[in-house]
Amino acid sequence: MTDSLLSVRDLRIRFGTDDGTVRAVDGIDFDVRAGETVCLVGESGSGKTVACESITRLIPTTSATVEGSIRFDGTDLTTLSESALESYRGGRIGHVFQNPQDALDPVYTVGAQVVEAIRIHRDVSKGRAREQAIDLLDRVGIGDAESRFEDYPHQFSGGMKQRVVVAMALACDPDLLIADEPTTALDVTIQRQVLDLLADLQAEREMALLFVTHDLGVVADIADRVVVMYAGAVMERGDVYDVFEAPAHPYTRALMACLPGRGEAFETIGGQFPDPTDPPDGCRFHPRCPHAIEECESGSHPDFRTMEQADGTATATPGDDADTDSATTTGDDARPHEAACVLYDDVHTIPTDVGVADD
Amino acid sequence: MPSSSSDAPAFTQVDWDEVGDGVGRPGARTIGFGLALGVLAALLAYDFVINPDKTMAPLEWDVRREGWLVLVSLVVVARYGLVPLVADRDRTARYVDAFRQRRAGVLALTYLTVFAVIGLVGPGVFEFSYAKLGHRLQPPVFASVSTDIVHTYSCVGPVVDGACQGTWQYPLGTNYIGENVFKNWLSGIHVAFKVGISTAVIMATVATVVGTVAGYYGGVVDDLLMRYVDIQQTVPAIVVYIILATLFLGNMTNISDGGLFAFALVFGLLDWGGIARLVRADAMQRRTTGYVRAAKAAGASNLRVMRRHVVPNSTATIVTALTRRIPLVILAQIGLAFLELNRTRPVSLGNVLLVGVMGRHMPWHVKWWTTVPAVLFLVGMVVSFNVFGDTVRDVLDPREEAQ
Repeated sequence: MTDSLLSVRDLRIRFGTDDGTVRAVDGIDFDVRAGETVCLVGESGSGKTVACESITRLIPTTSATVEGSIRFDGTDLTTLSESALESYRGGRIGHVFQNPQDALDPVYTVGAQVVEAIRIHRDVSKGRAREQAIDLLDRVGIGDAESRFEDYPHQFSGGMKQRVVVAMALACDPDLLIADEPTTALDVTIQRQVLDLLADLQAEREMALLFVTHDLGVVADIADRVVVMYAGAVMERGDVYDVFEAPAHPYTRALMACLPGRGEAFETIGGQFPDPTDPPDGCRFHPRCPHAIEECESGSHPDFRTMEQADGTATATPGDDADTDSATTTGDDARPHEAACVLYDDVHTIPTDVGVADD
Repeated sequence: MPSSSSDAPAFTQVDWDEVGDGVGRPGARTIGFGLALGVLAALLAYDFVINPDKTMAPLEWDVRREGWLVLVSLVVVARYGLVPLVADRDRTARYVDAFRQRRAGVLALTYLTVFAVIGLVGPGVFEFSYAKLGHRLQPPVFASVSTDIVHTYSCVGPVVDGACQGTWQYPLGTNYIGENVFKNWLSGIHVAFKVGISTAVIMATVATVVGTVAGYYGGVVDDLLMRYVDIQQTVPAIVVYIILATLFLGNMTNISDGGLFAFALVFGLLDWGGIARLVRADAMQRRTTGYVRAAKAAGASNLRVMRRHVVPNSTATIVTALTRRIPLVILAQIGLAFLELNRTRPVSLGNVLLVGVMGRHMPWHVKWWTTVPAVLFLVGMVVSFNVFGDTVRDVLDPREEAQ
């Protein structure tokens, strides 16, 4: 394993509720290496947001129990005290939340909030912080930043607010930016601008980006690697080209099949998302999986199986694309394409067509 | 301060020195606040230790316990009320604009300001004079009273057709022991001002801290604090005060029943439960807002988040709750003074009313001038506080700004 900037291992997050224990995240692993973009993909309720918020312990409820290890640059964040963690928040790990509408405090000017974000971690004079804040606002595309500095949040549109939020998250030049559906609440044209901005900033600052989304179009656009989550578990992970060209897990295939605009009938995944207090045994997707077999229905979540694409022997790889795919990866096995599905062993085969459940 | 155009940098640079604290360094406001409190503490030490009996040399003012309380309260009000308004003139201008569109609010604020100024300086303007028994029960100007209602009645003004006319010497007349009603009225307003501001500051401080901590942290902290509030609210402050005053405070030399100081402490420290509940509800709501989470994600400590984001956003709630509470506290003091459970010097309006309704020489409705001014002031005050509170809520509430 090469050195990862962020390395999450066996992360489990439970919430105690009146209806029972909700296992929002149940043993997920993923890595983010310096400078790369990793997308966490999954439908609502799959635990993406909670997983991200647990990294710097930002889950807004006290009833959550977090287990597992979260190593960031060699330090296990789960063992740090609250005050030690504060130097990581904002200082080394920036966080952008989903809804920009209330992300800025109505009591302060926009500039004051960026300045605050700078001065929490940096001992600079107010004048200097102000200059930096104006530079930042300018960089994230706030036109005439100098005069808009004194404006209040209600004078900004949603897209502008999200740019300010991005500026605040970048204020102390973090090594990792966690962006939790930063574009979901924005309209499509503004989405595009904010995505481009994030991509530019990431390239320019050599910052790692952990991006949460349910939008596969966005993933295809910006991701280096993809982690597909379903009901609190990782279903598939790998290089974005591998996953998009050869989705291995039936759930990933189903997600792809639901993408609109491919000239076919609009498809949906049949069935219901599992009850979070009582997830199914075995593979969590099996009740909705068109290829489910008996072995899927019992035991724990399936182990990951590496998709062997380089030699073209893998049953799931559809034909000729295999060689070009492997060429786009970095060549080492640090980012293998893996799927948590029992169908990928020596005994079983999975149909190569992309199918979805039809009930 | 217009934030527009060419001359912005010069302004904003100045403004910026006022905003926010740096990493571990106290800001200008904190230093100023500390200095002001330090000066007060030094004066207090001087007054108590070095020169306990005399008046303060430069001011000729014998500051007593409640006086110190009021001074501290004024410093707190200046720090958390006036300084932010002055520092952020842009914002203040918007408040003023919004406020001016609300007639009733402007009227209420005017009323309260006028009487606050009267309360603050009123008794100092007029020199003290002893009550003259011979001048008792004089009617106010432009009014008259029949002279044969009382034995040995001596009228200061002219007597026309057997009715004594009021004079400008006693613009509001005198009561049955010959005290100038106008001066009593002024001193009553003075006492009301002192009661209001010192109790309000203690209450607001405790309620804001307790409410914010309970609402922000939630869980066990919230449970403990709010159960304490429940218990505290089952015993009204007025009951606690009456018990303390009758059992302990009554017989001590020179302390009488504890006066304003005891009243302000008991009510300030025991009557904040309702406000704390409102602040708590606000803080719970704020805890999950984007800007609180963003501040946490930016590395702000809980204390900083509460100070910079949770409390400022609860300002409207706190101010509105206080405007509901202050008149009640003032009325409670007046009620206690009426029952002679809270003696103050100068006299409280409760005392004024008590003397006014005593049926000596004339029934209370004949000598109406001894009570009506106090009652009118109180009615106006209660109404003004309520109207002002509503207006402030409308103007301050940051949630309204988007419209």
